[in-house]
Amino acid sequence: MSNRLLEISNLKTYFFVDNQQIPAVNGVDLFINEGETLGIVGESGCGKSVTSLSIMGLLGHTPGKVVDGSIRFKDSDLLTLPEDKMRKIRGNEIAMIFQEPMTSLNPVYKIGQQIGEAVRLHLKYDKKKTREHVINMLKLVGIPRAEEIIDEFPHQLSGGMRQRVMIAMAMSCNPTLLIADEPTTALDVTIQAQILEIMKKVKQEKGTAMMLITHDLGVVAEMCDRIVVMYAGKVVEEADVFELFENPKHPYTKGLLNSVPKLGLKSERLTSIPGNVPTPANMPKGCKFAPRCIEVMEICKTEDPELSQISNGHQCRCFLYEDEFVKEAK
Amino acid sequence: MFHYTIKRLLGIIPTLFIVSIFIFMFVHMIPGDPARLVAGPDASYKDVELVRQELGLDQPKVKQYFVYLGKILQGDLGTSMKTKRPVFDEIADRFMPTFWLTIWSMVWAIVFGLLIGVISATKRNKWQDYTGMFGAVSGISLPSFWLGLMLIQLFSVKLGWFPTGGIESWKSYILPSVTLGAGVAAVIARFTRSSLMDILREDYIRTGRAKGLKENVVVWNHALKNAMIPVITMTGLQFGFLLGGSIVVETVFSWPGLGRLLIDSVSFRDYPVIQAEMLLFALEFILINLIVDVLYGMMNPQIRYK
Repeated sequence: MSNRLLEISNLKTYFFVDNQQIPAVNGVDLFINEGETLGIVGESGCGKSVTSLSIMGLLGHTPGKVVDGSIRFKDSDLLTLPEDKMRKIRGNEIAMIFQEPMTSLNPVYKIGQQIGEAVRLHLKYDKKKTREHVINMLKLVGIPRAEEIIDEFPHQLSGGMRQRVMIAMAMSCNPTLLIADEPTTALDVTIQAQILEIMKKVKQEKGTAMMLITHDLGVVAEMCDRIVVMYAGKVVEEADVFELFENPKHPYTKGLLNSVPKLGLKSERLTSIPGNVPTPANMPKGCKFAPRCIEVMEICKTEDPELSQISNGHQCRCFLYEDEFVKEAK
Repeated sequence: MFHYTIKRLLGIIPTLFIVSIFIFMFVHMIPGDPARLVAGPDASYKDVELVRQELGLDQPKVKQYFVYLGKILQGDLGTSMKTKRPVFDEIADRFMPTFWLTIWSMVWAIVFGLLIGVISATKRNKWQDYTGMFGAVSGISLPSFWLGLMLIQLFSVKLGWFPTGGIESWKSYILPSVTLGAGVAAVIARFTRSSLMDILREDYIRTGRAKGLKENVVVWNHALKNAMIPVITMTGLQFGFLLGGSIVVETVFSWPGLGRLLIDSVSFRDYPVIQAEMLLFALEFILINLIVDVLYGMMNPQIRYK
């Protein structure tokens, strides 16, 4: 087995708004091995982004707070790391790409300044070396005229170009883990494909592990080695990418796969999962997915299933497979 | 940027021309007879008429205006009716005290306004924020004559640290500039706070933090430069107002500045002085607006002038 790079256990991140506590992430367990690409899939509001912000320690400026669990990265627990040590990891060991390329770059600084800032901070390069490095990074992500773009401002670039700049910025200090939070959602389909291609290439060249957060199963199939499906702040299924697409277990995963439009199938309307994600204030008592589940049983309405192993590397949180669960003899 | 500045500088000429018409009209609408004031209350009707002719006030208004305009173009602002000195000298004497008072006030205002604004925005809803905003509301609400008198009472009369008025040394500048600057500082603090709070919610601030930058760097470099864009406009306007000379503060501190010159010349119906002062204020405002626009372009790359 390859080396564990990141291991999250029992992560609970709650939001405190108006004297209410809202469990955005409610006991998430997942891991990423070195050089591996993990996809995190789920609908909006299932806790994907909050998980990534918890890893980065960027919740400090939101009403959110990690209340329980641990996030082990290499040899340290990120949740107990002091802020100055955490800063040395952010942007250096773990870098992040965000969903909104249009607004994620500072409008008053040049591209080169924004990428160079991280390079000078973490790699301690001098001015000249930083500039060379930034130009190389821009070339790596396929930006034409890199020598000119470096001195341009974000508003002079298109959305796709800005996302390339974001990737260049994230990769500039050779992180061991790259977290990409819906990196292609805001882009045109053709640009999406280019950006994914670039991410793949950069990842292969640098051997970076990646956590790819998305709701797009096409992106997952294209990019990932392993997939974690999240629902209502919890992991409901986890499997190898081929296993998950061929042999989905959880009714939610099946629903997600069925709601992808397929070419050649003549169907009058798209299949969808009925209902909505429950609001945190309105969480059902048993299994969180029970009210929307087409295979719901009596037990689902009162008890919450555990995440258990079905076969090697395939875990699922559902009562349907009680008999199949591999009893771990510990 | 250079061409833009030249173009804007040339644009000042027609603006000032129009401004001069309005100033002339308004000044001549002030009720009261300057010829009578110059001749004195005991002068006979004939003497008053003689003075009127001498001052050119018997001529039609349009002609008076063109005479006035012609003189301005030759750099002649006329002679003060009250002191019989050239208006230029009158204003020149008063300009520097007001100018330096303005500079001192703006230095206080910008330093303290920014500091309080940034602290309030970053410590939102904590005691630092409440204290800062209490100070800012006080700064806006306290009338400057009252603040001035209180400062004189405490620091000049009781403690004897600073003179009560006039210009004697650098110490003379402290109390009046603090009085003038308090209101401006308060406005700058409130503007900075609200602008910075908006900016701190932007995605690129999160990007900065995700890069591993220190929070201070994120706030002072990444956020403040963006937050300054609206603050600059407001600060420029305040600067313009102060340069005109504060009538209240200059009176409280017996300051020999433009504000007091204005109030003296208005009560004496000293037309040439009033006109020249108003023209100067207009020019100051136009220049400050130009400076603000140029600064804007430097701060915000999305507005680059052609």
